[in-house]
Amino acid sequence: MIPAARMGTDTPRLVLRPPLDGASLEAARRELSRLPAGSALLVDVSAFERVDTVTVARLLTLLADARSGGLVVRLAGTSSSLAAALAAVPLALVEPGTPTTHRSWLEQLGAATLALRDRARRMLPFLGEAIGGVLVPVGPRGLKWEIALAQMAQAGVRATPIVVFIALLVGVVLALNGALQLRQFGAQIFVANLVAISMTREMGPLVTAVVVAGRSGSAIAAEIGTMVVSEEIDALRTMALSPVRFLVVPRLAALAIALPCLTVLATTAGIAGGWLIAVLVLGLPSQAYLAQTVKSLFVGDLATGLVKSLAFGTLIALVGAWRGLTVEGGPAGVGRATTAAVVTSIVACIVTNAGFTAFFYLIG
Amino acid sequence: MTDPTPLLTVDDLAAGYDERTVLDGISFTVREGEILVVLGTSGCGKSTLLRCVVGLLPPRRGRVLIGGRDVHAARGPDREDILRSVGMAFQGAALLNSLSVAENVALPIEEHWGLDRRTATMLARLHLSRVGLAGAADLFPAALSGGMRKRAGLARALALEPRLLLVDEPSAGLDPVTARGLDDLLLELRARARLGIVVVTHEIGSIQAIADRVLMLAGGRVLAAGALDAVRQHPAPEVQAFFARSPLPQAGERSLLEGLGGS
Repeated sequence: MIPAARMGTDTPRLVLRPPLDGASLEAARRELSRLPAGSALLVDVSAFERVDTVTVARLLTLLADARSGGLVVRLAGTSSSLAAALAAVPLALVEPGTPTTHRSWLEQLGAATLALRDRARRMLPFLGEAIGGVLVPVGPRGLKWEIALAQMAQAGVRATPIVVFIALLVGVVLALNGALQLRQFGAQIFVANLVAISMTREMGPLVTAVVVAGRSGSAIAAEIGTMVVSEEIDALRTMALSPVRFLVVPRLAALAIALPCLTVLATTAGIAGGWLIAVLVLGLPSQAYLAQTVKSLFVGDLATGLVKSLAFGTLIALVGAWRGLTVEGGPAGVGRATTAAVVTSIVACIVTNAGFTAFFYLIG
Repeated sequence: MTDPTPLLTVDDLAAGYDERTVLDGISFTVREGEILVVLGTSGCGKSTLLRCVVGLLPPRRGRVLIGGRDVHAARGPDREDILRSVGMAFQGAALLNSLSVAENVALPIEEHWGLDRRTATMLARLHLSRVGLAGAADLFPAALSGGMRKRAGLARALALEPRLLLVDEPSAGLDPVTARGLDDLLLELRARARLGIVVVTHEIGSIQAIADRVLMLAGGRVLAAGALDAVRQHPAPEVQAFFARSPLPQAGERSLLEGLGGS
């Protein structure tokens, strides 16, 4: 077998022979690695009378490795065929790349802080315009009710079956788990309190928010993000029309109205789920269960749930719209924005819920 | 009498994205009834220039004056007023996909002129008939061909009867007949409405058909400016290569054979 690569003994000279395959390339690289940086190297390619593109590409990878290793490379014996193949190849293709600069943790922290500041600077006018827009419900510069109503139908009415179904199951689960514990004290009737208060204050708003974040938060981000990619947002701006007023404000109003409505339905469905378990599984009297439910609830509980759902609706719409408006990187960016909108919305809702719960607990 | 104030003055403009400078030291003017064609190879900054002119991209240096007013310094109603005097037709038309073609054109009319929807839609249909799209008014953008989309975008750009029209690559991706139709439309707009028009293109046929003056960009700078015939004679290799439609060797780039020998 003829070796594909052979190092000359007198002067550093690498003789390459066809076929230049993976194994011969590896052999050649091993020879190169023995040379100290700064050495001159003559790469003899005289054996290559005819070359194909793969051979040229392999030769280039070898030359690039040699130059990365600090060798001063010269080609020798270039045939006319190889010269023609290399004629249009820029030297830059085999230049060693710019070494990556590693930033210290302090520099990274500083860069992240500056990025956060820039994001906040861009976000504040967005928040101001969006929330300010909702506060102007009528007039020539007022809320676009036509778009808002269409969004309410999309985000609210069409979400009703899934929200009610999930809330019903949550009510069932709460009742079953509560019954297991309360049975030990002969206090199964208090399942009604557990389900009613949990659903009204916590689970109703939160379950609704999670479903709507998944359905509508993602849709808002995807829709607006696609409009960014297809320059529709730029077109609005060039027509002196505010994308926030046209796209964000109606969606914000729609979710701020739809979420409390859906939450009422979800809470009712959850209580109904608890009632089903109480009556059908635990054998409690229906009237007694319902009376206990009514007895356990106060106006403050209902208000707590509604305030939370209003905040969740606002958050989901703002997060979705912001993620959509800040899309970068074409269609792939829209996908990332959609995912980020759902994750951020859900996390924001859960954190806000915890904050509200702590606040309401503290104020009694 | 011609207004002595240029419709558009771009003065020592520099702009870019992140750390990359795309435009540097760009200056030119456009007067009413004049078509300026901005030309150059792909990536030379033509579209970025339009984005700067229409206020979408803030400049790093320099000014953009529309009707004597700085579009980037203006805020609130003043900025809206400036932008209402400019129409921009995007390369991909950028029609709102959720609205019909007529609704797309009616949108700025309804919003800025405070007209009722029926009147605004009628005006939109008038604009669409001017660009030969009367029959497509009720279609949605997804149902339009490339040429129809561009004409619909042009109709929307004309909706507020601007004094200055910016058109990004009007004939890109179109068949020669449709492209020629768009060129004729721009010539008609210049003649009839005395619009100042800035067209970004690299289609030599379009340049010859419509340009009063041309501005050639290369590497983000003005390489040559003036009447088409004068620019054609410019000795710069980039200009000669552009009009000869031949690729230009990358200046300063060494070939591998030069760098590594090849004996």
